[in-house]
Amino acid sequence: MATTTLTPAASAYRSGLYEWLTTTDHKKIGILYIVNSFIFFFLAGVLALGVRAELAVPGLQLLTDEHLYNQLFTMHGTAMLFLFIIPMLAGFANYIVPLQIGAPDMAFPRINALSFWLLPLGGILMFSGFLTGGTAAAGWTGYPPLSEDRPGGLASSGPGMDLWLTGLILIGTASILGAVNFLVTIFKMRAPGMTLFRMPILVWTALVTAVLVLMATPVFTSALIMLFIDRNYGGHFFDPATGGNAILWQNVFWFYSHPAVYVMVLPAMGMVSEILPVFSRKPLFGYKAFIFATAGIGALGFSVWAHHMFTTGSVYLPFFSLMTFLIAVPTGVKMFNWIFTMWRGKLTLSTPLLFALGFLSMFLIGGINGAFSAAVPVDFALHDTYWVVAHLHYVLFGGSVFGVFAGVYYWFPKMTGRMLNETLGKVQFVLMFIGFNLTFFPMHVLGLQGMPRRIADYATTAGWNELNLAATIGGFLIAASTIPFLWNVFVSLRSGPIAGDDPWEGNTLEWATTSPPPPYNFDRLPEIRSERPLFDLRHGLTHPAAVLPVPTDPSVTSPPVVVVDEPVARPARARRTRKEP
Amino acid sequence: MTSRPRSRPAPGAIAIGLIVAALLLLVVIALVLRIDLVAGIRNAFDSLFPVRAATAQGQEIRNLYDIVFYFAAAIFLLVEGLIVWIVIRDRRKPGDNELPAQTHGNNLAEISWTLIPTVIVAFLFYISWQSLNKVEAVSLKPDLTVKAIAGQFQWQFVYLAEDGVTEAFTQVIPQGPGGGLSAPVGRNVLVLLESPDVIHAFYVPRFLYKRDVVPGQVNRFEFRLNEDEAGQTFGGQCAELCGIGHRTMTFEVNALGGAEFDTWLQEQIDKAPASPGPSGSAPPPAATLALVASGIVFDQATLSAPADEPFAIDLDNRDAGIPHDVAIRNDSGLVFNGQDVTGPGKVVDNVPPLAAGAYTFFCTFHANMTGTLTVQ
Repeated sequence: MATTTLTPAASAYRSGLYEWLTTTDHKKIGILYIVNSFIFFFLAGVLALGVRAELAVPGLQLLTDEHLYNQLFTMHGTAMLFLFIIPMLAGFANYIVPLQIGAPDMAFPRINALSFWLLPLGGILMFSGFLTGGTAAAGWTGYPPLSEDRPGGLASSGPGMDLWLTGLILIGTASILGAVNFLVTIFKMRAPGMTLFRMPILVWTALVTAVLVLMATPVFTSALIMLFIDRNYGGHFFDPATGGNAILWQNVFWFYSHPAVYVMVLPAMGMVSEILPVFSRKPLFGYKAFIFATAGIGALGFSVWAHHMFTTGSVYLPFFSLMTFLIAVPTGVKMFNWIFTMWRGKLTLSTPLLFALGFLSMFLIGGINGAFSAAVPVDFALHDTYWVVAHLHYVLFGGSVFGVFAGVYYWFPKMTGRMLNETLGKVQFVLMFIGFNLTFFPMHVLGLQGMPRRIADYATTAGWNELNLAATIGGFLIAASTIPFLWNVFVSLRSGPIAGDDPWEGNTLEWATTSPPPPYNFDRLPEIRSERPLFDLRHGLTHPAAVLPVPTDPSVTSPPVVVVDEPVARPARARRTRKEP
Repeated sequence: MTSRPRSRPAPGAIAIGLIVAALLLLVVIALVLRIDLVAGIRNAFDSLFPVRAATAQGQEIRNLYDIVFYFAAAIFLLVEGLIVWIVIRDRRKPGDNELPAQTHGNNLAEISWTLIPTVIVAFLFYISWQSLNKVEAVSLKPDLTVKAIAGQFQWQFVYLAEDGVTEAFTQVIPQGPGGGLSAPVGRNVLVLLESPDVIHAFYVPRFLYKRDVVPGQVNRFEFRLNEDEAGQTFGGQCAELCGIGHRTMTFEVNALGGAEFDTWLQEQIDKAPASPGPSGSAPPPAATLALVASGIVFDQATLSAPADEPFAIDLDNRDAGIPHDVAIRNDSGLVFNGQDVTGPGKVVDNVPPLAAGAYTFFCTFHANMTGTLTVQ
């Protein structure tokens, strides 16, 4: 492995299905993750359209079987979180992280393949409930005793819930394996010169995410196993009718599922933090502050889980209220750092930046309305209403999904060698941005007016008609916005303009290799002297703000196997006032 | 420098132009259709606030909401405005290959946007804690204690006597004429929440409050209806997914004046013992009506019975593990409440003579199981 004879131009990929099914290349696995996640995104999106169609007008028209309605939103939530957002971001990290740290692959390529292949398996298991008399229907939170197996159809008898549990256990296992792989890769396989404080922010967010997954997911997996025992082997962990405790599930579930929110949003933050500097032509403002804020969110993320349980009467409210308020602080630090990255920059409003701006402006709303839930008495009013549905979609759609699309448009040229069409991208962005706000903003108002979530119908006289109709129209607009996207991918894969190595003037190492990169990623690596090695390479000779140029040394061109963590003395940056034209 | 051409039209300018044009168009449409713009904007602004609170505790929550809202709105406008302003101002001109100043950060800025938000959230935490203490306070001696029992998929309200233990009267009709949770205005009402099956939540939007009903534990909260709400009725609903009939688990709260409430409660208590028991040594029934409960529905939507004569209802519950019963009500309230039977099983209820008229028969466990009983 010390040297590789492959030249970047030579295609070392064996073609064909067999290669994709057996690959251990992190880039192919990353693409598998992304494609698999998009398939479940569309599937779960169709389920959401069913929910919105039913709610468009009062009365039961479409889903007269309310049990089916409950299945739809249960599977929508479960699939969007566990089969779309988390794996999608893991897929991007899989593709990008080794490239950004100058590594030839992940540390454990075969474990990497295993952790991917568990996902479609788990997903198929969960969805196969539709063929066996009904999937899980207790909400994605699966609160017992409703999720227990009791006679009479008033709980969750039937195999759907067991399939749901089994699928989630597999997916959780995949996450844990992936987290170990990321930790080892990031700590042991960085290129010479890539010190911790020179790692790109996306790598940092992947690192913190991996820590969160490693600490939280085993707890969740144990809860899933306990519920499985309850249902199948006569356990009574969560069933008060037989001496169990229903609230115990909620504690264990949210101990995972709240940190999981950060698993779902930190890597998207990382992607946005890569895109904003490139399209502003400036470094990330407050690089270290950003890292500390990321670590702070990760740490605080473990002490806020019970804010999902304020109305249970079983938690000490002020502590979790304080912690939830506090987590706004590092999030705010990030927001200001992003904004001041753009400040007096030179912005190019390409599609990646548009989606990144969508992330900033929508995640802002999701973050701010989180403060309402942190104020416990206000949460009493808003909990389990459509306000919460609005809030979580502003975080996970307005945040994560916009971040994901920013990442798709940004890295598609690297992954495929071809550019996506800008016009189609902008059409998609405008449709999705309008559709998203039309769907989810009215839900705030519905919640304030008292509409609970997870109901299939509402009274004509409740005064919720217009807003529900607006939300449904918005939902279909979101669906429509995926058409230009799919068409864009389809057309651009065939006839998009050739991207070249570095179409965006990127800052990080993935832009130093070919598009797509060769199997071992790098033929040669530039010297790493800051968190922007390619910027230094590009501007080193001409720009006084850049780190001093270093002549390319042929001895560091082979894929690195040794981690060199020695701090390289960094020359003081020359201060430079803004040039007035 | 790479030489990728960047000679696109300024899309930001086009977007801003489109937004301005759209806003102007909306204004023109509003003027043409003579829509009251000012009222529209005021309504839109009001819709960002919760519904008017009906209780003292709800008002407390509303006050807190307003403070949080104005902080949130100010921060939102500041940050969103900053983003929009930067995007308008700091765009790259076509052909401009000059790098902007490479600012890497500013410690003073980082410290200030760490400390200022910390102070703000500490303040918000403090006031919400104060507010929480008021909302969660429970009187040593409440004026009235009601046990709210939430089962799949029906509410029952048990009024307790002054000792707080003895059950004085059970309201099995959660809403509609003669039903609902009736409560006096201006008095402290303690609610104890119990569930025999899964988790539910007691939620009245006009209270701005909800509390989970958790099997295996008794949750409690107190409310005091505002004096000016006497005569009002508020809708309530289960807010925690509890299964297939979750949506149907609605109820009503009737606010009564103090004296009116006392009279009402005494009437109900007086009526309760007289309320026909499940069985008795009554004369043999003049008729027997067969009724089957299966799949959480009754097999019949209409029944008829002779007037002024006792009759019997033969209930066949075929839902394994699920309780059903038959109760009869009319506009004045409950007139009969039959025996509970868990399926599979049968029970025969002897119903005392009823005056001619239209009644509703229903299952007290499942709000969707109702039908019409015609007595003639």
